Amino acid sequence: MSVTRYLPILVAILCGPTPASAEPSTEAATEQVKVQLVASAAAVHPGDQIWIGVHQQIIPHWHTYWLNPGDSGLTTKIQYQLPAGSSVGEITWPTPSKIVLGPVVNYGYEEAVTLLSPLQVAADAPVGGELPISAKVKWLVCAEICIPQQAELALRLPVVAAGAAVGPGSTLVELAKASWPTASPWHAEVVAAADDTVKLRLSGADLAALREQPLWFYPEQWGPIAHGFQQQATVQDDAVEILLKAGDQPLAAGETLRGVVAVGANGKASGYQVSAVWPAITTAKPLAEAEAQPGLIQPRSELTLAWAALLALAGGLILNLMPCVFPVLSLKALALFEQAKHQPGQTRRHGWAYAAGVLASFAGLAGLMIALKAGGAVIGWGFQFQSPLFVLIVAYLLFAVGLSLSGVFTFGSRIAGIGSGLAARGGYQGSFFTGVLAAVVATPCTAPFMGAAIGFAVTQPAVAMLAVFLSLGAGLALPYWLLCHWPAWQRRLPKPGAWMETLKQGLAFPMYATTAWLIWVLARQAGPDAVAAALLGLVLIGLAAWLYQISRPAADFARHLAFSVATLALTVALAGGTIVVGASGSTATRQAGSESKAFEVYSAERLSRLRAEGTPVFVNFTADWCITCLVNEKVALANRQVLDSFRERGVVYLKGDWTNRDPAIAEVLAQHGRSGVPLYLYFAPGAQQAAVLPQLLTPDLVIGAVKGASL
Amino acid sequence: MLSQRLFGVFALSFTLLAPLAVRAEPVVGQPAPAFTATAAEGGALSLADLRGKTVILEWTNHECPFVQKHYESGNIPKLQKQAASQGIVWLQVISSGTGKQGFVDAATAKKLNQERGATPANTILDANGSIGKLYGATNTPQLFIIDPKGLLLYKGGIDSIASADKDDIAGAENYIDSALKELAAGKPISKTVTKPYGCTVKYAS
Repeated sequence: MSVTRYLPILVAILCGPTPASAEPSTEAATEQVKVQLVASAAAVHPGDQIWIGVHQQIIPHWHTYWLNPGDSGLTTKIQYQLPAGSSVGEITWPTPSKIVLGPVVNYGYEEAVTLLSPLQVAADAPVGGELPISAKVKWLVCAEICIPQQAELALRLPVVAAGAAVGPGSTLVELAKASWPTASPWHAEVVAAADDTVKLRLSGADLAALREQPLWFYPEQWGPIAHGFQQQATVQDDAVEILLKAGDQPLAAGETLRGVVAVGANGKASGYQVSAVWPAITTAKPLAEAEAQPGLIQPRSELTLAWAALLALAGGLILNLMPCVFPVLSLKALALFEQAKHQPGQTRRHGWAYAAGVLASFAGLAGLMIALKAGGAVIGWGFQFQSPLFVLIVAYLLFAVGLSLSGVFTFGSRIAGIGSGLAARGGYQGSFFTGVLAAVVATPCTAPFMGAAIGFAVTQPAVAMLAVFLSLGAGLALPYWLLCHWPAWQRRLPKPGAWMETLKQGLAFPMYATTAWLIWVLARQAGPDAVAAALLGLVLIGLAAWLYQISRPAADFARHLAFSVATLALTVALAGGTIVVGASGSTATRQAGSESKAFEVYSAERLSRLRAEGTPVFVNFTADWCITCLVNEKVALANRQVLDSFRERGVVYLKGDWTNRDPAIAEVLAQHGRSGVPLYLYFAPGAQQAAVLPQLLTPDLVIGAVKGASL
Repeated sequence: MLSQRLFGVFALSFTLLAPLAVRAEPVVGQPAPAFTATAAEGGALSLADLRGKTVILEWTNHECPFVQKHYESGNIPKLQKQAASQGIVWLQVISSGTGKQGFVDAATAKKLNQERGATPANTILDANGSIGKLYGATNTPQLFIIDPKGLLLYKGGIDSIASADKDDIAGAENYIDSALKELAAGKPISKTVTKPYGCTVKYAS
C-alpha cells in the first residue's frame, strides 16, 4: 500500500486537532479501510432533513462491526460536528453478517457498508452560505488481527433557497437504504425452551417463503443471547422458530429483546427488525437462587439436612412397595430363598452387594443431577423419564426381564456350574445389578415423604444433595438388606419348592404391565411412529430371546448362527428404536386431547388471569410416568363428587403436564420446595397463597380443600 | 436368573444420557472449569493446586492494541501488583495458536513481561486453545476471577469503555480494580458479569 493512502489518517493521528488550514477532506484511507462522508443531496434548503453517513470500503477478508459487535470487536462510532441549530440523529444500521472465527462469532460488515444518520438542517441556515459537516470516525477493523483506526472527514453542502434544485447526492445513500432491515411483518415472541435455550417464534403470513433460506437472529445488545451458539431454525407454515441460547447477561422476564432476523445468505440477507418480550425462565440460574414469585403460595419448606435425610430414608422404604419396584424385589427374594440354605455369610454378602447396587445408582443419579444443576438446567425427580429414549430402553429391559421370568430364556445357569467360586462372584454381581434395576425402576414412583426431601436436596450444595440421595437409596435397600442379615426373618420365608417356578412365572406379568405402561408413556412423548418402532423392537427382543434359548443345546455351528441372528435382532431393536424415537421425540404433538373436559391445560398466564378474576383454581401438576399422579387422578380427581364440588363452587381445574421437560413448571415446583410431581395446589378466591394438598389425595381431602376446610 | 448382559443394555442407557451432563462455558457462582497447563515459569500448572487462593485469569495477546492500551498505560501491571499484595494469584493465559498473533514461547513471554513491568504470578501457554475454549474466552483482554473454593466469581472485561484509546482508561469504571477492592474488604463482587472488549482470541482453529 502506498504511503499516500496513509497520509490523511497519519495527519489525523499525528497532528491531533486538525489545523484550520488543512481542513479534512470527504475521504480518508488506511491500508484496510477507505472512508468517505456521503450525503443524500448535493445541497440543502434551510429546515431540510437529509441523510448523511460514512461509507466504508473494506479490503477482502477484513471486517468492521455492527451495533452489537458480537463476542469481540468494537462498534464503529461517528461523532458529527455541525453548526448550531443543525443536528444529526442515530445511525440506522444495515443488516449485519456473521463473521465466524473459530469459537468466536462477530457481527459486522465485509467489503463495504454505509452508516447513515438523519441530518436536520437548521431552519435559519443562511441561504447562499454553506453547511459545514465534520465527522470523527473511529472503527476497529479486523481479520486475523485487529487494528483500531480513526479518521476525520468533512463536507460542505451549499444552502440554497426553498424551491431551488439541490442536485443529486451520493448514490451510496440509496444503496445503503436497501440494506436496512425493515419492520417485521410477523408477530415475534420469545418462549422458554429446554435448559438455558429460548425460541424466537415468528408467526403470521408468508412464512413458508422463509423455507430453505438461512435464518439468523442478531441481538442488538450484548448479553441476552450467546453469539456463538449455532442457531437452529425450523419453518412451519404459520410459524418460524429460531433456537437461541441465553447469553452471559440474560434479560429479566418482561424486558424486551430487540434485534434483526436476517433471511438469506451472509452479506446478501434481508433483515427484519423484531422485538419480543423475554419470558420468565430460570436460565443459568441455580435453583437455590430462584426467587419466590410474590403471590405464588407457601414459602419454600424449611427443612434441615438431617430431617430431609430422614424423610428420604422413609421415602426409600416406601418405594419398596411401589408397583414398579415390588416385582424386582420379589424376584430377588426368590433368589434369596435358594441362598438362605447356604451359609448365612454368603447371604449377607448378597445383601451388601444389592445395597451397593442401589447406592451406586443413587450416587450416579445424584451426580448426574449435580452436573445438570451445575449447568443451570432446571430438573427434577424422575427427569430421566422425560427422555423418550430412556423410557424406550427401560421398556426393552423390563420386557426382557419378563421374558426371562416367563421362562422363554434363561441366562447363566450353565455358567453357575463352572465353579462355585465363580458362581458366587457372578451371583454377587447379579445382586448388585438387581440393586441398580430396583433404583432405576423406582424413580418414577414419587412416594409420599420423598417429594419434599428431593425438593430440598436439589436446592442444596452437591454434598448435601448426595447425602439425601444416598439416604433415599439406603431406605430402598434396607428391607432386603435386613432380610439378608436377620436369620429369623429368613426362617419365616416359605420353603423352596415347585411353587417358586409358578410364582416366578406369575411375576413376569407385572413386568409386562410395566412395559405396556412405558410404551403408553412413549406414545404420549414421541408419537405413533415411536410406538411402532418400540413394539417392533419388543418383537425382535422376543425373537432374540427365543433363538438364544432354542439354540443352546444345538451344535456349535447352529448355536453360533442363532446367536448371530439374535444379536442382529437385538441390534436392530435398539438402533431402530433409538433412531425413530430420537427423531420423533422432540416434534411429537402432545396436545392434551379431549379425553376429558373436566380440566384445562395449565399455563401461568391462565392461572394468573383466573386468580385476578377471583375465580377459585385447582392446579394439578402431573406426568404420564408418575404413578402416584395417575392413581390420584383416578381415585380422587376423576371422582364424581369431587367434580361436582368443583362445578358447584365454580372451581377451574388446571392440569400442568410435566411428562416432557418444561422449565416453567419445574420453577413452580421449586417454589413449593418440590422437584417432582405430583403437586396439587388450591387457590381460594382472592387468596394470596395457594393451599398445598398432600401427595396422596382422597376425594374427601380435595372436597374439603375446595370447601375451605383446614388441611 | 437375571442376565448381566441385559444390564449392559442399562449401562448403555446411562451412556446415552451422559452427554446431557457435558456443558461448556463457566457460570458465575459455579465451579470454574479445571485445567492443567504448561506454564512459562516451567512445569505444569493445575488450577486444582491453587485451591485456597483467589485466582485471576487474564487472556492476553501482546500484539493486540487493546492489550497494549492496558499494558503501556500501566493499568494491568498496576492491577497485577495490587492483586499480588492481596495474595491473589494472577495468571496470564495466551491462547494464540502457533504462528498466530500473540503466540509466544515461554522465554519471550517472560521477556515481554519484564519489558512491560508486568508481574503476573505465571503465564499459561495455551497454544491449542483448549483452556480458552473451556472458559469461552473470546477477547484479549478478558478476565476471570476464581475464589479459593474454585467457584467462578467474575467473568468479563477489564473496564467499562470499549476502546483502544489510553485516554479512556481514566474515565472508565475499572471492573478489576473494583473487584479487588471488594475482595479485600471481604465484600461480594458487585458486577460479576461484564461485556469484554478487545481483539478476538487468536485460536489455532
